[in-house]
Amino acid sequence: MDETAEPLPERMATDLDDGFTELVRVHASAVHAFLLRVTGNAAEADDLGQETFLRAYTALQGYSAERRSALRPRAWLMTIATNVWRNHVRTCIRRPVAAAPVEESCESWPDEGPGPQEHAETAADRALLVAALARLPERARVAVVLRHVVGMSYAEVAEVQGCPVGTVKAQVSRGLSVLRELLEPEVALLREVTM
Amino acid sequence: MNRGGEWTPQPESGVEAALAGLAGPAPGDFAARVLQRVGIPRDRYDMYLHLEAPAGGLYVAYGAQAVTGAALGRTLAGPQAFEEAHRARTGRSAIPTTRPLPGLRTALRTGRAKSLVIDLPELTEAERAALDAVRTIPRGQLRPLAWVAREAALPDDAPVTEALVANPVPLLIPCHRVTFDNGGPCDLRYGPIVGAVLRKAEGIDDALVGLSRSGTAFLGSDTTRIYCHPTCAHARRITPPHQVPFRSARAAREAGYRACKSCRPIAA
Repeated sequence: MDETAEPLPERMATDLDDGFTELVRVHASAVHAFLLRVTGNAAEADDLGQETFLRAYTALQGYSAERRSALRPRAWLMTIATNVWRNHVRTCIRRPVAAAPVEESCESWPDEGPGPQEHAETAADRALLVAALARLPERARVAVVLRHVVGMSYAEVAEVQGCPVGTVKAQVSRGLSVLRELLEPEVALLREVTM
Repeated sequence: MNRGGEWTPQPESGVEAALAGLAGPAPGDFAARVLQRVGIPRDRYDMYLHLEAPAGGLYVAYGAQAVTGAALGRTLAGPQAFEEAHRARTGRSAIPTTRPLPGLRTALRTGRAKSLVIDLPELTEAERAALDAVRTIPRGQLRPLAWVAREAALPDDAPVTEALVANPVPLLIPCHRVTFDNGGPCDLRYGPIVGAVLRKAEGIDDALVGLSRSGTAFLGSDTTRIYCHPTCAHARRITPPHQVPFRSARAAREAGYRACKSCRPIAA
């Protein structure tokens, strides 16, 4: 893993509060970026990020020192974050009475699709990409974000997703081709015509 | 921000590059709020932020009550470099925040940081005494190494230079106001260029530094018969016709002058 986080598990094993603080310092940005790109909503990413670390801390309290020192922090945190997010989405679907902004973001991701004006502004705009990401199916979205936004290796992503490395590679590549099609409709159209 | 080191961006098509561009740092106080919510005691970690200051701004880290470290923006690659340097020096994590310690902004704006609480447990007794003496040098004034050693009640310059090289809180501990005993600026912590920027921001003009360098160690007034360090507030009030330059305290004493009681030049 990265050099800054190398002694992190040992630190968590010897002194939980100190180790956890370091865990937050090193990985808070990655967890937040992951949740932001997966949910597409800054307020939600913030809440779920807090929830992720709270769960991580509670779990660490119950772990033995050996278990803590054997941990691979980034993949472990991302697993928690993914589960927190999935639970959140499920809760929102089952209880649609939730507050308006949450409801919006959970039930109608793709609705914020780019209008013609946005198309006009910048073709390769971030907003377009974010909207396109929101259209990917859950597992593919998680895989693509972990691999290309957070920058984890395929092996780490496989650990988070709980599936073989090959499956992750397929998810990522399929996800990317869907993204490309969403971003460049003309190209996709052309391919359909020629095929 | 890609904090992991193992992923190297290959030459990729547009989508991958654009996706990598979507990773940004978390909002300023996200990590701090996480720790607060989880309930980690405040004395277990430091918080830090980047404040407006000359020479690239100042990163300031602080614990529950006191400032514990700082670094000038120009001497560092970025916030992550500061976090790692702080961790290496103090063994404590520095968590980004957006709210400064009370009094910090004022201290930086006015250049008067004397009353700010600074806690440096990793230094030796002598080094701390030397830095405490450095902190008493008023804004816009210069003092030689020997003066710092005398004020800190240290037998010689050695611990003073050590403390100045180490100075973990530059700018708030104004080591740019210390000169060598010959009057030349003594920028041991960050080099002469940054030191010159800091002095200029305080209005220490090069003419005064030059005055000391040309051999004038003290400035006396022939109306009051008192001699001062040339940058002392009292020395600056002496009108040019009444300025009497001295090469040493002995020369001033022999001319019948007494030492200023506010800048306390060494009565050699």
